[in-house]
Amino acid sequence: MGPDDIPLFGMLKSRLGYLTERQRLVAQNVANADTAGYRPQDLKQFSFQASLMNQTSGAVYRGGVAAPTNGVRMIATSASHLAPSNAPSAWRATAGADSETTLDGNAVSLEDQMIKMTNARMNYDAAISFYQKSMTMLRMAARKPNG
Amino acid sequence: MPEIKSQSMAAMAVAASALRAQQGRMRVIAENIANANSTATTAGGDPYRRQLPIFRPTKVQGAEGVQMVRVDPDQSDFKTEYDPGNPAADANGYVKLPNVNSLVEALDMKEAQRAYEANLNVIETARVMESRTLDILKK
Repeated sequence: MGPDDIPLFGMLKSRLGYLTERQRLVAQNVANADTAGYRPQDLKQFSFQASLMNQTSGAVYRGGVAAPTNGVRMIATSASHLAPSNAPSAWRATAGADSETTLDGNAVSLEDQMIKMTNARMNYDAAISFYQKSMTMLRMAARKPNG
Repeated sequence: MPEIKSQSMAAMAVAASALRAQQGRMRVIAENIANANSTATTAGGDPYRRQLPIFRPTKVQGAEGVQMVRVDPDQSDFKTEYDPGNPAADANGYVKLPNVNSLVEALDMKEAQRAYEANLNVIETARVMESRTLDILKK
């Protein structure tokens, strides 16, 4: 049992994963800011509710398998079951134009991307701080009374 | 280019590919400006033709980076100037001048610089996020 099996940590991990993925997409968009015909990609808004549902409903299956932290996973109950190639994630990349499209069909607006990047960075910092605080709380709970 | 594994490192690799592409674009712009007055060496010949960098998305560690795939010549018309004494002048005394517009090149240069800075920003942000993650190990 690791910290990830505690729902709160699982959710934070999922959140961090989402933000890292978003940062990667922003990097992609900024890199292609001068590529003709390129359309920027973004992740669908992270849904705390959906993440929570995954945490509670997916729970434990016939003793052992931990709840998936991102998306619903197929569970194999026999060795002869086919394994899914890769687990689907809770979020999906979508392509769509930013505020402006240039004549060569490029729809990346550097300003919009910079805002997205800063946003992801601030949220990432917040989630990390939350993670650290929760860890501190765990440690406090685990300490002996007079230590 | 060394293989980098983690996700946020992929962001850095993508930004790095963009830095390379913009660097290449700057080289092409420099070529254009340098040759803004390069006329032909033979009578009636074509002068220097402006070059345009072509960018294409390319796979960089599972993400879409960018690459300057080739340089295409600008097909717009040459301007002519009456200068019968010039060795490059044709039978009527007109010299073809390169289709390079310094103002356009200067604007392109500014844009390349802006894109370069944006990519540096991406690298810096990816770095900070990565180091914040490592901070979890502290305390």
